[in-house]
Amino acid sequence: MSPVVRRVGAADRFDLTPDRALAYAAPDGAFALYNDYTENASWLVPGAASGSVSEIAANWLGGGDDGPTRRLAPREAVEGYGTFTFPYGPISMGVPESGRFDVVTYGERVLELTPVGGYKSRRILPSLAGATLADAALRVERLAGNVSASHVAAFLAAAESAEGVAVPTSELWTRAVAQELQRVYNHVHLLARIAEAANQNVGAAQSHALAEELLRLQGRVFGHRWSFGALLPGGPPRRLDGPGRRSLAEDLRRRREEFEELWELFLDSRTFIDRIQGTCPVPREAAVRWGAVGPTLRACGVPWDDRLRVPVAPYTDLFVPLPVERDGDALARLLVRVQEVRASLLLLEQLLDRWPAPGEAPQPAAPPVDPGRGLGRVEGPSGDLVYDVRVAGSRIAAVGVRTPSDANWPVFASGMRGAVFTDFHFALESFGLVFAETDR
Amino acid sequence: MPSWIQQAAHRGILTSRYPRVAASEPDEIPLTARGPLPTGPIGPAAVDGCPVGAISPSGVDQGRCVRCARCLATGFRFGAPIEMAGTSPASLRTSTVAPAPSGAGSLAELGRSLHVFLVDVGSCNACNLEVLALANPFYDASRLGIFFTNSPRHADVLLVVGVPTAAMIEPVRRAYEAIPAPKAVVAIGACPISGGVFRGQPGLRSSLDELVPVDLFVPGCPPAPTQILDALLTLAGRGRRER
Repeated sequence: MSPVVRRVGAADRFDLTPDRALAYAAPDGAFALYNDYTENASWLVPGAASGSVSEIAANWLGGGDDGPTRRLAPREAVEGYGTFTFPYGPISMGVPESGRFDVVTYGERVLELTPVGGYKSRRILPSLAGATLADAALRVERLAGNVSASHVAAFLAAAESAEGVAVPTSELWTRAVAQELQRVYNHVHLLARIAEAANQNVGAAQSHALAEELLRLQGRVFGHRWSFGALLPGGPPRRLDGPGRRSLAEDLRRRREEFEELWELFLDSRTFIDRIQGTCPVPREAAVRWGAVGPTLRACGVPWDDRLRVPVAPYTDLFVPLPVERDGDALARLLVRVQEVRASLLLLEQLLDRWPAPGEAPQPAAPPVDPGRGLGRVEGPSGDLVYDVRVAGSRIAAVGVRTPSDANWPVFASGMRGAVFTDFHFALESFGLVFAETDR
Repeated sequence: MPSWIQQAAHRGILTSRYPRVAASEPDEIPLTARGPLPTGPIGPAAVDGCPVGAISPSGVDQGRCVRCARCLATGFRFGAPIEMAGTSPASLRTSTVAPAPSGAGSLAELGRSLHVFLVDVGSCNACNLEVLALANPFYDASRLGIFFTNSPRHADVLLVVGVPTAAMIEPVRRAYEAIPAPKAVVAIGACPISGGVFRGQPGLRSSLDELVPVDLFVPGCPPAPTQILDALLTLAGRGRRER
């Protein structure tokens, strides 16, 4: 019997103008970045953030929790007979990172779920002020290790834009190779995690094996399984010369075959597909309203990808496929990721085939947004990642960042309303959320 | 139509033969998984150029090193031994071979099996994923009697990753207290050993052993899964160095 439940909060106050989603609000409210998904355009609003933006930021970034923890999504108050709140975390083996989920329930159905972060806040951003670019980059790549390449690429692009320096073409291509390799790894890893949650033991083991092979591939090319140092001056030696590229291309062809064989078997498994179909659905309107990014957004039918909408070299010279699904559930998010694995492998093939000749002219960085201030924007494995870097002389003055996890935690929380708790792991993994990205 | 069984048979046996056979390079141990060693006298350029203060004129503190490779230009190479876990941060301060930690087999009495509980006290997620990789078919730690458990009450070993943050002090202490004796704690990676790149940052502890007694320290940023496996086997008295 379902208890009488009353929602006493008002989540609607967080509404944004329809189809105009908040993508980025700097912590100091200095500017906001909007994506207009209907016009496929995005623009910066300088100066103090507008009322609605600052209200949203204050309402969920401000916390409301004691101590150093903070809510990562707005909490709607729910009360009624038999309802109670139980905290899941900060230590739980189901979620390998430290973070908490406050679940309001009456025993089975999740009435409200609020992710709470801050447990592993390392205060990285304030520590970057005064550091040299190279030292700051070492910390930036350790902000979230499994997506380090996209963080470093966005950070370097922002810093180079602030400093107005030109970048060797081969460096830009190397960044793209590292990012695409990590995207493939992250998508395959999430497939393995979802299969694990669905008790597809053989499939999970085989997907984890493929993910391991992709880490080893990064280890062979960059000397490091997570590409740490790979994109920085003075990093470990890379194997991207002619023979290195040929061997990488050959290796990727084998990984592609393994992946296709694996996915075909997953598609044959009705229990697997049934388990994730309809799980944690996010309607298109909700995704846009909450400012969803990445595969979460594309799974709701919104064709937005930074590699196409705000392209930088080398993506300007490549064919970038744009997979989109419509249903917005865990299956749709997984389908987008599966197609993106293929897309990234195709991009890697193009990158390795058309590697710039030595001596090609360096590419000028994007113009600064203000003198000494640049924005770097890349499509990370889980979506739009923005760095805002201010430099003074040869040192970093301040850094702001909006990660895909910042944007997608509230979307996950909204999708979990009304789910059963056994959906939790499928739902969480299908978003690709990382506490390390929000606990920075 | 292919089946899972056909697919698995087609791929063959993936599992490493470690520790019976040495770890393969670069697959199991990529270049930077080995710590840096000097190829000659250590000059001031190397000492000043190290962003984490791991290099001194007398040698390298492997527990501080984050494998950034900047020292390669100043007469270093990645050549430290693969099995480097030490019983104290001081045992990782060396320019040559780290000695086999004496008395590290503190859980040898438990025989062939160890149950492991993972706690993240402020990591970037890379160490977490390297620990969890031990369950994938390439490492398959269960073949060596090593299992992950969902509760500290069922655990013998507490694996800790990350630089200890203020909010995780109490949870990690409580997890430690919940583990029944005999028990051991292993610090995974530069962060819980020395703070790594976050060393000295306000609000963070620079070492896990300020919070709970640590039995083994595994250097690296992150250490490769094989190196974590070695630390667990060393605790059980079955590491390659104990052979």
